[in-house]
Amino acid sequence: MIPCAVTGIGQTRYAAKREDVSMPELVREAALRALDDAGLDFDGIDAVVMGKAPDMFEGVANPELFLAGALGAAGKPMFRVHTAGSVGGSTAIVAAHLVQSGVHKRVLTVAWEKQSESNAMWALSQKFPFQPPVAAGAGGYFAPIIRAYMRRSGAPEHIGWQVAVKDRRNALRNPLAHLHLPDIDLDMVKASPLLWDPIRYLETCPSSDGACAMVLSADVTGDRPPAWVHATAMRSEPMLFPGRDEVSPRAGAACAQELFEQAGKTPADVDCAEIYVPFSWYEPMWLENLGLAESGWRAVDAGRTALDGDLPINMSGGVLSSNPIGASGMIRFAEAARQVRGTADAHQVDRARLAMGHAYGGGSQFFATWLVGTEPPG
Amino acid sequence: MARDADFVARFHLAYTYKRSTGPVIGRFLTSLREGRLEGVRTASGEVLVPARAYDPRDGRATTDAWVDVGPEGTITTWTWIDAPAAGAPLDAPFAWALVRLDGADTPMLHAVRGPRAAIATGARVRAVFADHREGGIRDLSCFEVIP
Repeated sequence: MIPCAVTGIGQTRYAAKREDVSMPELVREAALRALDDAGLDFDGIDAVVMGKAPDMFEGVANPELFLAGALGAAGKPMFRVHTAGSVGGSTAIVAAHLVQSGVHKRVLTVAWEKQSESNAMWALSQKFPFQPPVAAGAGGYFAPIIRAYMRRSGAPEHIGWQVAVKDRRNALRNPLAHLHLPDIDLDMVKASPLLWDPIRYLETCPSSDGACAMVLSADVTGDRPPAWVHATAMRSEPMLFPGRDEVSPRAGAACAQELFEQAGKTPADVDCAEIYVPFSWYEPMWLENLGLAESGWRAVDAGRTALDGDLPINMSGGVLSSNPIGASGMIRFAEAARQVRGTADAHQVDRARLAMGHAYGGGSQFFATWLVGTEPPG
Repeated sequence: MARDADFVARFHLAYTYKRSTGPVIGRFLTSLREGRLEGVRTASGEVLVPARAYDPRDGRATTDAWVDVGPEGTITTWTWIDAPAAGAPLDAPFAWALVRLDGADTPMLHAVRGPRAAIATGARVRAVFADHREGGIRDLSCFEVIP
């Protein structure tokens, strides 16, 4: 396998509304920053791999037609990837595979969403004939699963509040984050309205506009250090089947297991991780599912996942602080890469050598993960 | 036994979305509302009409140089519509044509008023603006052939 590096990262600032730009301009903002970081222009790119949220979210059914010109894809292969909320992660993985296989040398990968011009809750709550409706949106779907985790693990109610505070405090160090809540504390979270028991308003992600892009390359360009891709893994599972464990889906655990096996590493080798946490409780739940902690809630309660803990999680502020859904998975992957490149500015973890990026989508049905490191693999 | 119809259900799916033009298409539409046609110059020196923020050929950002184009232009290719459907830009028979406005390097798709005999590749046309303009492409009602 040909070693693949992240040589460029570009993000827009995340905000409730980016009405100052069109969708192509939003996507270009991230793409041009990634190219600039890699010291390249569109001429230096061999292929473009793009991902976005499901079509109904924004009413853009053919983004590859709509955005090929804006992304400098003329005369090059262009791909679009679909895997619900995990799409940003799986899009980056498809791009990495094109480099690792030797098919292309340098690939631009981009993921985006403009939630202000759409309504994700509507798109998630459609009733189709002969299909079970979700009807309640994402929060209503995940709330009983969170309750099941609390009962199974004996986690106290304040764990979710702690994650909500920790991620928003991290976001204060990230100028690109959508939510900047300087006064955030446990009381504020606890006092916020109960939306879907046990999820309170401040335990949920915002609706954001934004885009994220990366240059994945077989050669190192630009002035800044690369992040080397050590392993990539994806898994899927159906929404409903007898015996399904929705709290800790088999596909998520298998995805992480394959990831570590591929890299010849263990979860203990991970210096920090960006994992997909749209509702606060998913931090302890995914810590257990991914094998990063035996008891997720105890790791949170002990402060291990804080920026100064021994296992920092979501240093950028995470999905809880910025959520352009189609891009959120790629932001996790890109933020993991920033850590090992040493370019995470005020939310940098000291001496981060190996970082994990994680995304999930649908009813916990699609999982995408990668491990990136300071040193080349092998 | 169930009839086939029992296994078929119709459903209606609809939602209202929004779109932002961004500054470049926004300026093009603002000019159109004022009854003017403008293009934007690419980094390689060509003029795009309608204007865009980027050159679709190479992805490079377009420049800040705006150029007045038209109101006359040339048909580069066309197709004739004998029976306009509901919602067509004109009620009478017309041509859909690619029109390259004078001063532009790209043709744009629009309606050209008949008669049929006057429509030809290479025919010269002139922009016809709507009396009431709202900042959309329909502010340019159609083109007409210059006799």
